[in-house]
Amino acid sequence: MKALLATVISLTLTVVVIGNAYYQKKQFYPSVVYLTNSNPSMAVMYLQAFILVLLIGKLMRKVFFGTLRPAEFEHLIERSWYAITETCLAFTVFRDDFNPKFIALFTVLLFLKAFHWLAEDRVDYMERSPVIGLVFHVRILSLLMLLAHLDMYFIVHAYQVTMAKGPSVQLVFGFEYAILIIMIANILIKYILHAIDSRWEAPWESKAAVLLYTELAVNFLKVLLYIGFVTVMVRIYTLPLFAFRPMYETMRSFKKAYNDVVLSRRAIRNMNTLYPDATAAELAAADNECIICREDMHSGAKKLPCNHIFHAACLRLWFQRQQTCPTCRLNVLRAPEPPTAAPAPPNAVPPHAPNMPNMPLPHMNLNMPHMNLNMPPNLNLPPNLPPPPPMMSWGAPPPPPPPPPRPAGLATLSLAELQRMEGNERANIEARLQLLQEIQAMLDAAVLLMQQYSTVAARHPGATVATQTDSVKESPERSGAGEAPAPDSTSPSGLEPRPGAAQPGPSKDLPSSSVMSSTSTSNDSTDAAAEELRRRRLQKFTTEK
Amino acid sequence: MAGSALRRLMAEYKQLTLNPPEGIIAGPINEENFFEWEALITGPEGTCFEGGIFPAKLIFPSDYPLSPPKMQFVCEMFHPNIYADGRVCISILHAPGDDPMGYESSSERWSPVQSVEKILLSVVSMLAEPNDESGANVDAAKMWREDRAQFNSIADRIVKKTLGLHQ
Repeated sequence: MKALLATVISLTLTVVVIGNAYYQKKQFYPSVVYLTNSNPSMAVMYLQAFILVLLIGKLMRKVFFGTLRPAEFEHLIERSWYAITETCLAFTVFRDDFNPKFIALFTVLLFLKAFHWLAEDRVDYMERSPVIGLVFHVRILSLLMLLAHLDMYFIVHAYQVTMAKGPSVQLVFGFEYAILIIMIANILIKYILHAIDSRWEAPWESKAAVLLYTELAVNFLKVLLYIGFVTVMVRIYTLPLFAFRPMYETMRSFKKAYNDVVLSRRAIRNMNTLYPDATAAELAAADNECIICREDMHSGAKKLPCNHIFHAACLRLWFQRQQTCPTCRLNVLRAPEPPTAAPAPPNAVPPHAPNMPNMPLPHMNLNMPHMNLNMPPNLNLPPNLPPPPPMMSWGAPPPPPPPPPRPAGLATLSLAELQRMEGNERANIEARLQLLQEIQAMLDAAVLLMQQYSTVAARHPGATVATQTDSVKESPERSGAGEAPAPDSTSPSGLEPRPGAAQPGPSKDLPSSSVMSSTSTSNDSTDAAAEELRRRRLQKFTTEK
Repeated sequence: MAGSALRRLMAEYKQLTLNPPEGIIAGPINEENFFEWEALITGPEGTCFEGGIFPAKLIFPSDYPLSPPKMQFVCEMFHPNIYADGRVCISILHAPGDDPMGYESSSERWSPVQSVEKILLSVVSMLAEPNDESGANVDAAKMWREDRAQFNSIADRIVKKTLGLHQ
């Protein structure tokens, strides 16, 4: 309504102004001269021209787009503001050329730009709507063709003018239209991809990849153009401030496109090398539905180390953002082992193997030197140690509270379970540190025990000495157990208090006595020695006090 | 067929229509555009929002479900986890990596496993139990903590307003 009113008023004004001029001068040329020399008349004419441009814009919009969606309109307004500001900046560089013709050219440029933006938004919209009619395709294709021809015309025009008359403001136009034509090419490629995709029944898996590379190429071209333009402008005129914002944005999106490509390639590589294809039986067991796209999985499904199954294509897109399992958030990059062994416990290491510590256990290695330092040098161990008693014989750290459920041994765990219990959150690390302190306390206790033991052994050469090996064995067993929240725990966060952190380690608080009492009561094989030991220890503690 | 985001949204719409969760209605505003939904959420029973019917809109990104949608109430709301303009601030709507309030663990963030239904159910439970640590609306969080009676009376007014009962 307002627009109609403005149109009518401006039209009336124009008619009045022209009528007045003609009425005064009676002839064509004098009237024109009169009009151009009168500032108020020219203002009215400019206003009329502006409204005319808006009207043509509306008409073209109706023809090519129908009604705009609110999002498109907002987008258009936002970009227009930037474009108008930058155009004003550009005027300052070319203030010598400032005349109505250049204003007209800039208006045409803005006008065409607006239609490029709208076309881009509309093509993006193709992905969002299930109902794309024939009219849509006709409109988009004809608009793209029209815009491409106009862009070409203006580029050629700018080139010819620049060649004939030397550099002028036409440089800017040529460059702007070159950017626009790249944009048209990009829109066209997207349109073709979406159109192909919408014709196919099955999801087209490589579409995302093609889009990614298109984006990269287009942004690369744009960056080249901007750099070239800025260089030329700096050499001929001055720094083109008006081109900086779009140049910066282009560079940023180029960087983003590049990162996307890198991430995508890495995801594809991981996908192909690390994760096995899911078998039909596994698919059936897992409902056969990909939780990412909520569609049935028939082929091309991949299984992660955590046994969750997804479409390879869906997974690849997700891995571009996040290297975690969508379901349980297992960090897949931290699980680089080929998970072929994951479903079944690795059979290479028999359960309760005596050489358990061949698993990488850095905690133990950290603590070992410490233990050795504390060991008195005059400690002479019997060279032929008896075979170590079974792993668990050293028992849990003294209750209360009762120890957490722990796996029978690390060897029976699958790799996936091990990796799940490893975690990477702060709480896990704290739990681990806590655990290390406990281990250290226990090792200290063991050293103390050893010292006393050796004195006992010196007096009773026949007694069996198994404690040294026990104390060494103890640490891997403890470290494995403490880190294990029951292996079936599916909590994705790993934030629940870990056993080690939850219990204020009793062995740490009451260093040696409690540890050793548990030892001596639980270990049957060294009864005689233990009895003697307890007696001596009690004696020692009483003397210490 | 069409893009995967569209297909998934259509599947979710079908699911929500066939088995609607109690107290929640959601669907595209216009079936020509599946990326803009509206939802009606009834206030959970036994809370100060009981009885209210709160309209909201959901805007989905084109890479849904890899990125979360945005949710915004279109009625007046007064709640610690809802911004003054109606935007909802709960961790399920935040992609891992962006944390506007700096308190969320990544385990409760967005992942493709989540869905519109889960979001709306989370919002219902958020209405029932505000998280006054987050404070998208600091005034509401403060009032929730310190002056529950006044909070309840404001909530009551909003509930009546959504039902069209002006006082």
